[in-house]
Amino acid sequence: MRLRNLQFLVLMTSFGAGTLTAGERAGQEWWSLQPLRDVVPPAADGLPAEWSQSPIDRLVYRRMSEKRLRPGKAADRATIIRRVTFDLIGLPPTPEEIDAFVADSRANAYELLVDRLLDSPHYGERWGRHWLDVVRFGESNGYEQNRIRTAAWPYRDYVIQAFNDDKPYDRFILEQLAGDQLDGEDRELVVATSFIVSGPHDAVGNDDIRFARQIRANHMNDFVSTTTSSFLGLTFHCARCHDHKFDPILQKDYYSLAAIFDGVQHGGREFVTAEDERRRVEMARPIEDELSRLRADLAALEKSVETDIAEQREAILARYRPPVDDRGTEETFQPVDARFVRMVIQETNAGFCKVEEFEVWTDAPAGSARNVALASAGAQVTSDSTRGIDGDEAFYSADVVIDGEFGVCWISKDDGVGEFSVEFPRVERITGIRWSKDRAGGFQGKYLGNVPTIYSIQVSLDGKDWREVAHSRDRKPFTEEGVDDLVMRAVMSAEENTRRDQLKDQIAEAEERLESVPAPEVFYAALVEQPTEPVYFLEGGDVMARGDAMPPASPSTLAGVLPGFELAVDAPEGQRRLTLARWITDKRNPLTARVIANRVWHYHFGRGIVNTPSDFGYNGSRPTHPDLLDWLAQCLQDLDWRVKAFHKEIVLSATYRQSSDFVERNAGIDRDAVYLWRFPPRRLEAEEIRDSVLAVAGKLDTRMGGPGFRLFHNIRDNVTTYYPLEKFGPETYRRAVYHHNVRAVKVGLLGQFDCPDNALPAPRRESTVSPLQALGMLNSSFVIDQARFFGERLLREAGEDRHAQIRRAYRLAFGRLPGVEEESLGLELIEAHGLTVFCRVLLNANEFIHVM
Amino acid sequence: MSCDRSFTKVDRRGFLGHMSTGLAGVALANLMAREGVSAKVARPTTHFEPKAKRVLQIFCPGGVSHMDTFEYKPELDKHHGEPLPGLSGSDTFMGGNGNLMKCPWRFSPAGECGKWINQELFPHLSKLVDDIAFIHSLQSKTNTHGPGCTYMNSSFVTEGFPSAGAWVSYALGSENEDLPTYICLPDIRGIPPAGPANWSSGFLPARHQAVVFNTSGTIENLERPSSISAAADRDARKYLALLNRMHGRRFPGNSVLGARVASYELAARMQLSAPEVSDFDSETSATHAMYGTTSSNKLKSAYARNCLLARRMLERGVRYVSLYCASRASGVDGLLNWDAHKTLKSDYERHAPVFDQPTAALINDLRMRGLLDDTLVLWNTEFGRFPTHQEGTVGRDHNPNAMTAWMLGAGVKGGVSYGATDDVGHNAVEKVCTVYDFYATVLHLLGLDHERVTYYHNGIERRLTDVHGYVIDDVLA
Repeated sequence: MRLRNLQFLVLMTSFGAGTLTAGERAGQEWWSLQPLRDVVPPAADGLPAEWSQSPIDRLVYRRMSEKRLRPGKAADRATIIRRVTFDLIGLPPTPEEIDAFVADSRANAYELLVDRLLDSPHYGERWGRHWLDVVRFGESNGYEQNRIRTAAWPYRDYVIQAFNDDKPYDRFILEQLAGDQLDGEDRELVVATSFIVSGPHDAVGNDDIRFARQIRANHMNDFVSTTTSSFLGLTFHCARCHDHKFDPILQKDYYSLAAIFDGVQHGGREFVTAEDERRRVEMARPIEDELSRLRADLAALEKSVETDIAEQREAILARYRPPVDDRGTEETFQPVDARFVRMVIQETNAGFCKVEEFEVWTDAPAGSARNVALASAGAQVTSDSTRGIDGDEAFYSADVVIDGEFGVCWISKDDGVGEFSVEFPRVERITGIRWSKDRAGGFQGKYLGNVPTIYSIQVSLDGKDWREVAHSRDRKPFTEEGVDDLVMRAVMSAEENTRRDQLKDQIAEAEERLESVPAPEVFYAALVEQPTEPVYFLEGGDVMARGDAMPPASPSTLAGVLPGFELAVDAPEGQRRLTLARWITDKRNPLTARVIANRVWHYHFGRGIVNTPSDFGYNGSRPTHPDLLDWLAQCLQDLDWRVKAFHKEIVLSATYRQSSDFVERNAGIDRDAVYLWRFPPRRLEAEEIRDSVLAVAGKLDTRMGGPGFRLFHNIRDNVTTYYPLEKFGPETYRRAVYHHNVRAVKVGLLGQFDCPDNALPAPRRESTVSPLQALGMLNSSFVIDQARFFGERLLREAGEDRHAQIRRAYRLAFGRLPGVEEESLGLELIEAHGLTVFCRVLLNANEFIHVM
Repeated sequence: MSCDRSFTKVDRRGFLGHMSTGLAGVALANLMAREGVSAKVARPTTHFEPKAKRVLQIFCPGGVSHMDTFEYKPELDKHHGEPLPGLSGSDTFMGGNGNLMKCPWRFSPAGECGKWINQELFPHLSKLVDDIAFIHSLQSKTNTHGPGCTYMNSSFVTEGFPSAGAWVSYALGSENEDLPTYICLPDIRGIPPAGPANWSSGFLPARHQAVVFNTSGTIENLERPSSISAAADRDARKYLALLNRMHGRRFPGNSVLGARVASYELAARMQLSAPEVSDFDSETSATHAMYGTTSSNKLKSAYARNCLLARRMLERGVRYVSLYCASRASGVDGLLNWDAHKTLKSDYERHAPVFDQPTAALINDLRMRGLLDDTLVLWNTEFGRFPTHQEGTVGRDHNPNAMTAWMLGAGVKGGVSYGATDDVGHNAVEKVCTVYDFYATVLHLLGLDHERVTYYHNGIERRLTDVHGYVIDDVLA
């Protein structure tokens, strides 16, 4: 490894000089690009009996022998059930399950245990989560606005179900890339294509063509890189700006792959089968008919007064004052003494109320009137309806309405209503006010709402008794529709008005009924249509430097091993994805099988045979067991890509079942047990930790599927901001795989224990140790709540006997009984401080979150 | 060990070397010290003699207008009201642009170097120009806030990449055994655009992400819950130690178990030292007055308290402090950050007084305490603004083609203005530089060769400076 690093760095330096010599990069002869080799496992002769059965063990044993390592002894039953249960379903075994297994005298007891676990619906929840890491599944857009995706969960459920159904892996690939092409009427197959778009989406848009193209190019890069890294374990994204520096991937290969996805966009995809549509129409048709009848009646009624309107419109409108003007509206009234003036807003044209300045003018000859509503003149303003940010009202404070400046607005808490009150230092004789919302006059046609349209201006001497001195109800309506309605009402007779109101009510009611007809389901999946523009080769990856239009085609990388394809530049959109999927799943494609076999191995042992599971190129790790990898890949293909049977091959092996005991002699040769002289112990992953806390506390809610629970509350402004929860109710007690997984927000324990935020694929998780984890496990309200529930469970299940409680607790949390000292000191702790304190310790113990 | 690559060319530190970076490293090193494995905390490995030991980065989100703050553009005044030649509507973020708009404030020369600066907005900072190296020719790759912020913090416009603070934590580890290596202090108004992605560890191990001090000056879950008494907590920890000891005895040879025990000890020390660092009782009233912590302007006093907190952290050896003045774009008005689309003058007359005095006080305080000798101070925003006004408003639109950044302190030459934009501030034209150059320079001052601080991820030895970057020699002392 060290030597390779050195080579690499020498190479990095040599870029500057523009030289690249043979041997410092991979060509098409690179090991991972060669056809799978037919590996003959070594003979069983001379091997310990338990290592002689499985080809896996014989291959592992040979590598061990070459390194002069000796295998460990078999793990005991209590250890192995804990290990394999976490591994396959991500939850701790119950004490009863442990007892049953330990006592099971059948020869195939372990195999039966494995079968039970693989049949458990929890299996899909555990292994589906691994896949979601690989494909950077997230439930918000990321980027600037990071809007939440409320309908991305069907893909998560699809993945879980695919694992539980033991869907063959080649079919799984086919469905994710082109399920809609297999059968567009099958919901699951359409959901599967979410794979392509489950990454980040830059939704803010841009008026600048450079940036608009760049955004699309970034999405394409995400599609190409996720597809190739997930299924092929190669880093095609490195060839976006130039030929790959280390692997045989040409820049044109990258753009040919991008052309595959040219017709794919992010967004909600409406899903409707012919049958659904027929039923929907059946329900909607009568309502739609009724609606058109009602609308025709209304139109006829309104048409009948058309002439009256034309004749009377001006006269009617003349009775009203001009409409309010958000650039400045004056109200004048008879001079009145006032210490207080308030503006009570009862309606806006849209949304909350905004006022930038509020002036109150004294009764004086023209030119000498003063604005007394000025902070600088000693006036004060109060409002109990100001909008706050995180409860703080300072940001939109009403102070700005008397600061003598325009621009910044007071903003009301609620839509349509709000008020503020100005107090003068002394009683003033006043005769008019003027308010404005946007003295400068419009923000490029944006932000035109929030104009107070109906309001009352009131005065008071003592701040208690108020008198209205002006209002806007006699002004012309602010909007065109409002004006039309006003005129219509004025020309119609009482009967006509009643009839019109009735019709409008009936229309509204029918529209409501129409709304309640189930609309087609919309979920986040690849939004596809035939592209109108080809994908261009981009010189240096520069979106403004377009070269040739690129045909959708297979990359040249595997040209020698399996037949490639090249489609027409304008090939049908779906055909492109389907053709690529078939090329990837072709049994002659050596990467597909090697990569998935290695991923599965990686999750079982915490380390892949290739320790860079999504990079089988020059910069990736070399396989520690090349023969084993090819044997496994071939095995998976021979099993018709059935992953469950493949798991069994692995977890039934002696390699997997050996103990994790540390042996100094072996460690001296291979400290990290790369050659598997012991089972490598591991810390639980974030989800396992959270799920285990809930399981042990007896609170785990095992409901599967559907919209996820949230560990945050979110505020949507023009960007969405996520705030972690501080209290956790029962709705958060489901398995962590159902946590609504937004991007760029690592929440609480999950984030601290290395749950990726899925901005990028995470083919391998880190396992870090930090004091923040300690603080979270010790002090977060989640853990404290669960420690209390754990204590209550002990009382329920073990009664009042302290010793029984402690034993039950150890069996639940660690799968074993306490030692003498553990029991006696545990007793002291409980006697002194109660069960919650004791349970909190168990949840924090190393033993709780490590499997051996 | 989870990371199988090292960042230095020749990795002599191996296993311990990796673990010695960051908090866990300290914890493990302590553990090993107690066990006689290693005599002392492993020192960080730099590539050459560093000028700076720690970094304070001040970030003003929203896109601070360069020509209204730090870069004087007298030609803009002369051409006020004229159309900007060569500008098309497609160059902008929000749409239509109006004609050139002069800076609504007066610039004047300050300091011995005679730097022209907006002293009306920044009366306090203007006194420090002889210490500051201004970089007027930075450009961004995006005109959008979120990507702009992550670009300036991580050199990438997408999330998922480590921030500069995380890289520094990864490369240099901690100087203080009781406090985090990398701390972020968000503004009282909220988090910046793109939020935690700005202080993320990206694909680096999670321990390198910033620990966020919330607006009440504390760390999440730092305090023992009220339902657990101090005595119960103490006894619980004893019992926990027993459990872990017995477990460790049953499973020897697993260093990660010891590291986790040590992380609990470090957490306990943080529980003591973190409240101490945010306890301002020992600060004099003169200090409080200098920072403005008692200002009646709530935004200013809150930012001033963060400035004071930043000094106390740097003083105690926190490696990287990331301090924000303003927050995300509100979409309602320019109140939350420097995104003055509509009313530049009134917006900045709100923001500048919040920023000016406390920032200057922090810098002066660092100097008085001798900390500026080995502390590097950085100031950034996500992009600059257009010299034109936005149609129908008296504000300016986003301009990725030009922005100002500045730095001062350890190893930085003061009184320097590096690079420039064109006559009106539309495009950087002289000595144009990138975020990669900026961070190449930052790492250089920390004694690190930016091309040799690397981490393998998805096929590439990743760097803070992507595959670019030149040290800006002209700003080095």
